[in-house]
Amino acid sequence: MQKTNPNKFLNISTFLGCMLFAMFSYAQTTVTGKVVDEQTEPLLGVTVLIKGSSSATTTDIDGNYTINVADAAAATIVYSYVGYATIEMPVNNQSVINVTLKEDLALLDQIVVVGYGGVKKSDITGSVSSVSSKELSAFPVLDAAQALQGRAAGVVVQSNNGGEPGAPISIQIRGNTSINASSSPLIVVDGFMGATMPQAADIESMEILKDASATAIYGSRGSNGVVLVTTKKGRNGKLVVEYNTNYSIQNTTNELDLLNADQFAAYQTQIRANNGNTTPYPQGTANTDWQDLIYTTGSTKTHQFSFSGGSDKINFYASANYFDQEGIVINSDFERITFLSNIDAQVSDKLKLGLNLFGSLGTKNGVSTQSTGSGGIGGGGDDVISLAMRYAPDQPVFNDDGTYNSGNTVGDLVDNPFAIATERVDETKEDNFRANFYGNYEIVKGLEFKTTVGLSSETNKRGTFSPSILEVTAGAVGGRAAITNARQRSFLNENYLTYKREIGKGNLTLLGGISYQKTTTEAFSASGNGFLSDSFSFYNLGNALTILPSSSSLSEVEIQSQFGRANFDWDDKYLLTATVRRDGASNFAKNEKYAIFPSAAIGWKISNEDFLKNVDAISNMKLRASYGVTGNPSISPYQSLSSYADLYAASNGQTVSAATPDQPANPDLKWESSYQTNIGLDVGLLKNRFILSLDYYNIDTKDIILANNGIPEYFGYLNDGILTNLGEVNNKGFELALTSRNISNENFSWTTNFNISFNKNKVVALINDADVFADGTPSYFSHDQSTILRVGEEVGLFWGYDYAGVYQGGALPAGTATLAGGVAGDPLFRDIDNSGDITEEDRTTIGNPNPDYTFGFTNNFSYKDFDLSIFFQGSQGGDIFNLTNVQLVNGDANTTVDNFNNAWTPSNTETNVPRVGNNSNREISSRFVEDGSYIRLKNVALGYNVPADFLTKLRLERLRLSVSAQNLLTITDYSGLDPEASYFGGGGVNNAKRNTIRGFDFGNYPTSRTVTFSLSATF
Amino acid sequence: MKTYKLLLLLIGVSIMGCSDLEEDPVGRLSPDGFFQSPQDIQTAVNGAYTHAINEKFWGRKLSVALMLRSDMVDLASNETRRMEMNELTTLGNNGMISEFWPKTYQGIAAANQAIVGANDVAADEDIKNPIIAQARFIRAFYYFHLVRQFGDVPYLDQPATTADATIGKTAASQVYENIIADLEYAKEWLPDTQVTRSIPSKGAASSYLALVYLTMAGNNDTAMFQKAFDEASEVIMNEGLYGYDLDTDFQNLFNADVIDASPEPIFALDYNNFEAPNNAYDQIAPMTGIRGDDRNSGGGWSVAVPSFAVYDTWEALDYRRAVSMDDGASINGNLEFYTNFTASGHQFAKNRPYIAKYTRYPGPFARGNARATSHNYSMLRYAEVLLIAAEAAVEISNNTAALNYMNRVRTRARMGGTTLVAGVTTTVAPSAEPADLPMNYVVTAADVLEERRFELAFEGKRWYDIVRRELGTSVFGASGLEGAKADFSPTDYLMPLPADELDRNPNLLPQNPGY
Repeated sequence: MQKTNPNKFLNISTFLGCMLFAMFSYAQTTVTGKVVDEQTEPLLGVTVLIKGSSSATTTDIDGNYTINVADAAAATIVYSYVGYATIEMPVNNQSVINVTLKEDLALLDQIVVVGYGGVKKSDITGSVSSVSSKELSAFPVLDAAQALQGRAAGVVVQSNNGGEPGAPISIQIRGNTSINASSSPLIVVDGFMGATMPQAADIESMEILKDASATAIYGSRGSNGVVLVTTKKGRNGKLVVEYNTNYSIQNTTNELDLLNADQFAAYQTQIRANNGNTTPYPQGTANTDWQDLIYTTGSTKTHQFSFSGGSDKINFYASANYFDQEGIVINSDFERITFLSNIDAQVSDKLKLGLNLFGSLGTKNGVSTQSTGSGGIGGGGDDVISLAMRYAPDQPVFNDDGTYNSGNTVGDLVDNPFAIATERVDETKEDNFRANFYGNYEIVKGLEFKTTVGLSSETNKRGTFSPSILEVTAGAVGGRAAITNARQRSFLNENYLTYKREIGKGNLTLLGGISYQKTTTEAFSASGNGFLSDSFSFYNLGNALTILPSSSSLSEVEIQSQFGRANFDWDDKYLLTATVRRDGASNFAKNEKYAIFPSAAIGWKISNEDFLKNVDAISNMKLRASYGVTGNPSISPYQSLSSYADLYAASNGQTVSAATPDQPANPDLKWESSYQTNIGLDVGLLKNRFILSLDYYNIDTKDIILANNGIPEYFGYLNDGILTNLGEVNNKGFELALTSRNISNENFSWTTNFNISFNKNKVVALINDADVFADGTPSYFSHDQSTILRVGEEVGLFWGYDYAGVYQGGALPAGTATLAGGVAGDPLFRDIDNSGDITEEDRTTIGNPNPDYTFGFTNNFSYKDFDLSIFFQGSQGGDIFNLTNVQLVNGDANTTVDNFNNAWTPSNTETNVPRVGNNSNREISSRFVEDGSYIRLKNVALGYNVPADFLTKLRLERLRLSVSAQNLLTITDYSGLDPEASYFGGGGVNNAKRNTIRGFDFGNYPTSRTVTFSLSATF
Repeated sequence: MKTYKLLLLLIGVSIMGCSDLEEDPVGRLSPDGFFQSPQDIQTAVNGAYTHAINEKFWGRKLSVALMLRSDMVDLASNETRRMEMNELTTLGNNGMISEFWPKTYQGIAAANQAIVGANDVAADEDIKNPIIAQARFIRAFYYFHLVRQFGDVPYLDQPATTADATIGKTAASQVYENIIADLEYAKEWLPDTQVTRSIPSKGAASSYLALVYLTMAGNNDTAMFQKAFDEASEVIMNEGLYGYDLDTDFQNLFNADVIDASPEPIFALDYNNFEAPNNAYDQIAPMTGIRGDDRNSGGGWSVAVPSFAVYDTWEALDYRRAVSMDDGASINGNLEFYTNFTASGHQFAKNRPYIAKYTRYPGPFARGNARATSHNYSMLRYAEVLLIAAEAAVEISNNTAALNYMNRVRTRARMGGTTLVAGVTTTVAPSAEPADLPMNYVVTAADVLEERRFELAFEGKRWYDIVRRELGTSVFGASGLEGAKADFSPTDYLMPLPADELDRNPNLLPQNPGY
């Protein structure tokens, strides 16, 4: 390295030249000032530039800057900052210039992260929604995915179990693009595919890639959309230390009005009478409100501490986060500690290295909810929510001898809900670690090489224990305990080249690379029954009288890929994007190991055309169109191989090995492919005061994998669903996102964000186009069909009898009938096959769980140091199947006051509720299908930024206090606990990813109404 | 130069991980190279056995279906699939058939896999063939159920290939021939005794042959009755060699704790001693148990309950009635006679005596409602062999043998024993009933069938007796135990083939007559 760097020489001489020139020509003035945003928050890192010169600086943490101005009379200073409208200020010989920057809602210059790179927002050709860190951290959430709800058009977010601490959150982008495979998007955190979501407070930005043009770069993992998460990085300048804390108080939003002991006795006596039994119900001595016993006041505490900073060479961000939630059902809680650190080092002009580290330890203590009605505990006896509604209120919590009452006088034998909630142990510990290293090297100007090497490890241990004092659950066997453990390790290496160059009026960006990811999952479980002592919990399985069979498994998936993208824009008017990815995956079947996923998109910035350039009203207008193919990996490891299954078998009192043919080989099984068209229009009006984004899409998902029961059962395979690529589903939709700055002046501003998404899906093809049924009811209901897939209909319609009111005796009303042996007061159903009685042939489609549209509506107000945010979110047109009510009118349970009072009796015939105890056998009928539309006041938050003069006394840079409330108000006609229902039937959460079972409500952990106090301080 | 080194390093990193993407399913059972040793054949045979204990087969669906179809067990609950069985209004999409049809064929597929897989095992015939013989026995066991339920059925004797998707039905007569061939092979190669009765022995193959012949004989095929008699007589002649005898206490046959030591079972199902996954456990006890009964953590589910006439027409002094039925029980801590079994208040509770064979001694592993018992139910027991011999003897006019075997069964029934009466352990003294048939009495087929009805009550035998002897018109008439089953017609002797199976392979059409 003997050569002198000519550039360096040039720089120095230019600098010296300028200095000399300045000294001789003009008297130099120093201008200082402070740059703040509309909330008078200082802005860090604002570029302050003398117009027409290269003289520039940036603001520090306090928003202060100092810049030398050569010509104080004539110079103009330009203030620019990402996300804010650029301002020009003439100096006019002032020495102090303070500036307030206004947020630029169009954010046209903002770099939006897309896969393997970034694109200026104005140059995006695909459909991409961005959610800001401000929206993500508006109120405390355990999983940042929750904060997405209602924030982006086309994105539907729901908890898999209401307000349960630690419940999994499901995200769905643009509808049900599959049937049995997951519709969950790919989560990419700082380039790591399939990563755990970081804490909301550590997220800088979240981008949701929706159309094929945006997602095809992720190939076989792109068809459900992609959520790209970028975590916070350190900025040049002073060290920033930040502390945020929240404290929330939570209560259940709703309880059912159930019968008390006296009413219950009357109810049961009437049921007996209806069944010809004249002996009155022998009422117990207690009067227990089981709902009151299991619900409690919950709380959430969060603490987040971070420090960040940087110099020219090194930037860093590090944070620690603590989350602790006590649930609103007794003995349910979740606690997690998370650490995150990002280091970026500019090693040389050309080389940049960085490392992201993430680690979290979580512990969840669960309480049994959402009974599957199976799993060894019959009759739904493992679900405190539904049991609290079912269990006889005339029974006490404890018997006279101090043992738990398990003498439910009606229905299946179960332990009482308080006992289960108190005594059953269900602990999940989840540890997540991730490290991702990158190196970025500029080979020549315009050509960069980037490599990333990352690894992650997720360990999940779940222990359950039912002590023997739970008489029904575990009394007979002396306690039941089980531990399951699963560990997933993932290794990811990606290498890609990015090349940029200008060609005439055009800009060309090329990207090409390779990727390799290997994910290994190892799991084992052990369990036993019968313990010397209940004090062992699940930590002494060796002591079990009956050691139950243990299990272990290994599953490996390797994906290797090549990918490329070309972006070209011409004259800042015409945009073209083309991507392709070729994925090879070990879990793909033998004859279909590789798949290619192409896409193309065009954009036209109409507002930059001459005929619009001078139209003031239109500040921005861009038309986008894209088409592409993406995949859903949808094939589990080893699923295409022939296999035997091992069975549990005994011989002569010993466990022996036993095997049976499980499935034949399936070498032609393919991934599912989505062919997506997207047409979008972005419009900014009146200097981007109104910004409107419209998107229309059409997604044809083909080769959907269905269990083909077309293979005869006499083949004798244990797995009776041999998978075949025979399904097809279409999703069409329309999305609108509107941002409007209604009022904006020095003291007061009001902005509105509104988004709405319409999606309509349709089953296009099934195996032989035959109906496919599934069941969303608890297995103890003993039904096998409650949803249907039918060609031409939407996915997952409810399937059952069509309720036609109460039979009043005498001749049956035309076209209706009762179940066998029906008498006056029994339910009437539409007799579809006109056979004169109701049989399974009379079932029909009775409801549609898919909403017509979902929306989010946010209004932000700020007045001086105060700000107020009101966020509504809702869903319209989706039906809910109220399984809770099915159980509550079955007679073998408590019921609601309404059900009892409105029930048909010979003297109360003007009613739509059949007589009590009518033995309709938990029928699946339209009388339990309800409109699940709702509007929910998801969040209302009032914030106060402590003024600067007071802060100096406290030696703080910034202090913000806020109080907010979540789920304060819900407007709905739904009679159950919560319209955001998510119950998955006898298959439990295994069904959660499937799209055939949607809209069922049974035993959900209730959503909580929350009041949150927050404090945020910067030192 | 430094930068180039770095670049090389980065490119080096990028070469990591090139894979052929082939899957290596470690820890999974793969058919490739599975059959290496005789033990591997046994593993597949064990698979074939254990399908039978599943809830979808004997654990509930088939056993309960057979009970409900007969005149001995009525339905107390009201599920459509069960009503269709009880009232003989079964449809092609019946929810019980759709479970036991595939389960039966899964047992057959496992047996076929064992038989064909044995070709890959290099071992001597005298080591291999006794295991193959087990596989052929259990295959015959499954096909024998199928052919009695459905008549003509698709018959596979090796692992299925794509070509089998379009095969037609095999005639019942051919299925019977194949069953006989399998059982003959089993009889040739199985040892005289096994360590447990849940592994078939030579005597089990022989006893099943006798029952197969008796079934094939119908009402008047004397040659078949002769074969049945000869085969059953051979078993009886060899009772010492095979270790068969009648248990001295009838109750022992329905006691999970002692049944495994009894000399009476000939072929039994070996239940896991826990609630195994995929419903591989027994639920007959809860299905027949009394609602609210203080035993078995909450009694049973009151689904399969005999009509009152079953109890009422049964000689009260017959110890078998005391063992087979509960006419008293402790409910909510009170001793209740059957006239007040509805004290539990449950909608399905009935004021009638309940089946007791499954609920009294479910064993130490039974869970709530006596689910998942360790009760190794007899599929065939020695008393039945005696009654096969007696019935066949009647038809070939060997009254002496018929009298002899009938009286052996009746003698044991008179001996009494120790059982539970209303939940209380009670010793029942020997009684006069059922008395021996006098030496000059001419036994009729109807006598033997009645004896079978009592001796084998609620054991899944009665429906097959009704079918093979075409008793429907009388037992389902107005004077039948359950009163008139108005929907009965002789086409009900065969159940409908599963409708969806006919959709999958239309070559299985036509559906059985009457559906």
